[in-house]
Amino acid sequence: MDGESPVEPTVVHTRGISAAAGMELELLGAPEPAARTQWSLFSRRFLRHRMAVVSVFLLGLLLVACFGARWLAPYEQNQQDLLIGPVGPTAGHWFGTDELGRDQLTEIMFAGQISLRIGLAVAFIATLVGTLLGSLAGFFGRLPEQLLMRLTDLFLVVPAIAILAIAIKRFGNDSTTIVLVLAGLGWMYIARVVRGQVLSVKEKEFVDAARVSGDSSARIIVRHILPNVVGPILVNATLGIAAAIVTESTLSFLGFGVQPPTTSWGRMLSDARGTVGTDKAHLIYFPGLALLLTVLAVNFIGDGLRDAFDPQSKR
Amino acid sequence: MPAEADEPIDLEVLAPGPGPAAAPGFILSVRHLRVTFPTDDGLVRAVDDVSFDVAGNEVLGIVGESGSGKTVTAMALLGLLPKSAEVSGEILLGGQDILGLSEKSLQPLRGRRIAMVFQDALAALNPVHTVGAQIAEAITVHHDLPKDEVRDRVASLLDLVGIPNPRQRAGQYPHEYSGGMRQRAMIAMAIANDPEILIADEPTTALDVTIQAQVLDVLARIQERTASSILLITHDLGVVAGMADRVMVMYAGRQAEVGTVDDIFYGARHPYTLGLLASLARIDQGSKAERLYRIDGQPPSLIRVPDGCAFHPRCFRAVRPDPCATDRPDLVGAGADPAHLSACHFADELADVTAEQLREAMPR
Amino acid sequence: MLTFVARRVIFSVPVLLVASFLLFAFVRGTFDPTDRLRQSRDPEAVQRARHELGLDKPVVVQYKDWLGGFVRGDWGESSRTQERVFPVIRRAFWNTLQLVVWGVLLSAVVAVGVGVFSAVRQYSLPDYLFTGLSFLGLAMPPFWFGLIAIQFLAVYPKDWFDLTSTPLYFVGLRSSTGGGVGDYARHLVLPVLTLTVQIIASWSRYQRASMLDALSADYVRTARAKGVPRRQVIFGHAFRNALIPLVTVMALDIGALFGGLVVTEQIFSIPGMGRLFIDSLVQGDANVLVVWTVITAAFVIAFNLLADVLYGILDPRIRY
Repeated sequence: MDGESPVEPTVVHTRGISAAAGMELELLGAPEPAARTQWSLFSRRFLRHRMAVVSVFLLGLLLVACFGARWLAPYEQNQQDLLIGPVGPTAGHWFGTDELGRDQLTEIMFAGQISLRIGLAVAFIATLVGTLLGSLAGFFGRLPEQLLMRLTDLFLVVPAIAILAIAIKRFGNDSTTIVLVLAGLGWMYIARVVRGQVLSVKEKEFVDAARVSGDSSARIIVRHILPNVVGPILVNATLGIAAAIVTESTLSFLGFGVQPPTTSWGRMLSDARGTVGTDKAHLIYFPGLALLLTVLAVNFIGDGLRDAFDPQSKR
Repeated sequence: MPAEADEPIDLEVLAPGPGPAAAPGFILSVRHLRVTFPTDDGLVRAVDDVSFDVAGNEVLGIVGESGSGKTVTAMALLGLLPKSAEVSGEILLGGQDILGLSEKSLQPLRGRRIAMVFQDALAALNPVHTVGAQIAEAITVHHDLPKDEVRDRVASLLDLVGIPNPRQRAGQYPHEYSGGMRQRAMIAMAIANDPEILIADEPTTALDVTIQAQVLDVLARIQERTASSILLITHDLGVVAGMADRVMVMYAGRQAEVGTVDDIFYGARHPYTLGLLASLARIDQGSKAERLYRIDGQPPSLIRVPDGCAFHPRCFRAVRPDPCATDRPDLVGAGADPAHLSACHFADELADVTAEQLREAMPR
Repeated sequence: MLTFVARRVIFSVPVLLVASFLLFAFVRGTFDPTDRLRQSRDPEAVQRARHELGLDKPVVVQYKDWLGGFVRGDWGESSRTQERVFPVIRRAFWNTLQLVVWGVLLSAVVAVGVGVFSAVRQYSLPDYLFTGLSFLGLAMPPFWFGLIAIQFLAVYPKDWFDLTSTPLYFVGLRSSTGGGVGDYARHLVLPVLTLTVQIIASWSRYQRASMLDALSADYVRTARAKGVPRRQVIFGHAFRNALIPLVTVMALDIGALFGGLVVTEQIFSIPGMGRLFIDSLVQGDANVLVVWTVITAAFVIAFNLLADVLYGILDPRIRY
């Protein structure tokens, strides 16, 4: 995903674009009838994206269910019932149970805490670091920029899974370490995007105007550059959450991520791998579905944010 | 795909003298053309009841600001409007109504009987094909000719529009041409099949003034030589003055005034036209203290066109509310020539008003 | 053009060197080949082993030695299997290559087809359907898709239709009893499908977007105004332009694929590069790991270069 163009002032978006559409926008050269705030425009555009709105609710539900597991889950975490053994979905156990008789719905809710927490933490840290370094590189150019570019170039050529797996092996596999390792690689993509954005905004006339009227560098960054860069940052951060969740699950699935007793959705799938082809396959469906729904929801929200910030991007 | 492979083809690139379509009457007749676009903010009335004729061997200039509807009109003629556009009225090309024809039916006409030159030649030419290939395509989609004949024809066309080393240039890509050359190449492409009418949409707007002259010169020469008609769309009155036989002034999607170039420039009968003429900066007039004339206000949003006459909010002659704010003026005869039409309730009175007077009246 | 390629190749060398050094140091720092000896009764054993393996020298020197060997074709010995690393990698690479080739072919054909179709018929029902599927494909964790695919395309059909064996195989690339093209195909379907899910989703979205850009470009309007028939407008003008960015993206993704099939190979027990990585990681086979990472990095760099070259070939505005 490339960096998006900065926010343009009010442009009305029309449907049914085909070959001769460019002039449609020319037709609407006259000023808007009433001034609308940026925020209301933004939220209006976001709300138009039905899937994004649905996803917000869905994600909210997931977050509540997982983080409120202590109070909402039907059973205790890790509550074993060896008499039942692994059964498919029943009235008492909506998602079935595993070999130790643990209710899968409960396990998924608790496991979700880890998956979601790691995903959010990684995205947060990566975005923070990436934005900081990217904007410094973009704004000051020359040495900082070259350093950033060469460094990220280096890391982008090596397969991420490999680096992550080796790093986790080296530094340990508790949640905190995993978060730091993933973020340690994740900030680079955002840094590049932010740098690109800063560069393109820096070129715009209003920055020159600010410079000429004597604004300090800090002021220019904060007042002029950042507002235009916020959009792509938010979009990429959101999509980064999804990417982090998937990466953590993949690593856990391969056995390199969280270790028992800590459990995440990826870990649950790793444990359930052997059930393919048996009647216990339900152990695979539900954690995977949880993952799928979460990632889907986050992706839709990211898409909605992208549309809200830049209405000219094509769906 | 060639339309009719056995149609006689004029191998002499462009024969001098009276050329195509010697049909009596008008080459193009537009009747009550209306184009609207639905948008999130409302219905855009881009073209609102426009009617005009273009005779053979004449240059009709369509003048107006951005948003006046002139480009949309041109697009409507070729059927190039987006699917969301609603178009009504009649567009008669040689007597046949081509409005609403399907893509398939329009293809044989486009580029052959009616052709178009676009504004931004760099964007309008495909960057990954050579200029020669693109001109050749214009020919081969309508005629089935052997390759070397097409090549010859391409070279002669490029030569005709004044491009040096045409054979060599034909193998180059658009980005290797200069701006003026690109525009001339587009003209060459448009006239490749000797169209009856050529629509030039702001052909010189993107160019330097000196290059503008070259391109207009090429257009003029071609028009003389082939006796085809040209629909010249521009916002530049100077361009129109030099090239057009007749002029149509558009405002807010409607016609303000239509007439011969002399009638419009020396005998304008519409406040908008007068305003345009007055705002032309002139080197030969005015003391240092004289201000430039400008028409008050802004062109209206095409979603909320004012009631009555679209121009009335900015008009120096308007009488509000009645009739200017309530009755939309019809385009009727004004002045001596019956073909001189104006859409103004007070067109007759404007006979004595000149652009100079408007300028003088500006406060210093 | 040739000078451009030469220049880029020469420039890639230091990148590769630095990357390989970092990887070497990283792996060396993570895995200690003398681990097992630490439990031995002989206190000198560790010391001796370290000296033998050259581990007591500074990292840079170790790297230099390794590099010298690497360039000469001596890639060391796998601590896991005691084989020479070169044949180990070659075997694994050959298996991964098969997956990559079939996967890319399938992905390219489907993605381009879907992308062009969706762009030409924007906002139609199939377009919405494809868009929805793309979202699903991008959100679907590949490892889960693999498991589900095995379940629903192999295991269940066998039960439902009472077959003697699963219609599609999911272990390895060939049956142990040998088998012809049919057997090979039945082994390929599921892993290729799994690895292509995300790629097709991503490429088709990209193609759609770039095709939409091309279709709304001025030169398409010009072509229509010339009377060019619709099909030629779409393929001769729009598609030809839309292809350019897509091809570069494809080249970059393919480059990354060589190291990215870890999950697929794990699920389908295919002894390729991905599986090799995991096995080596688990066993701490440092020699293999170092070579593995360097090789995959080299491929990424090579395909990056290819992407730029292709761009230069396809777009006449870029002339190096």
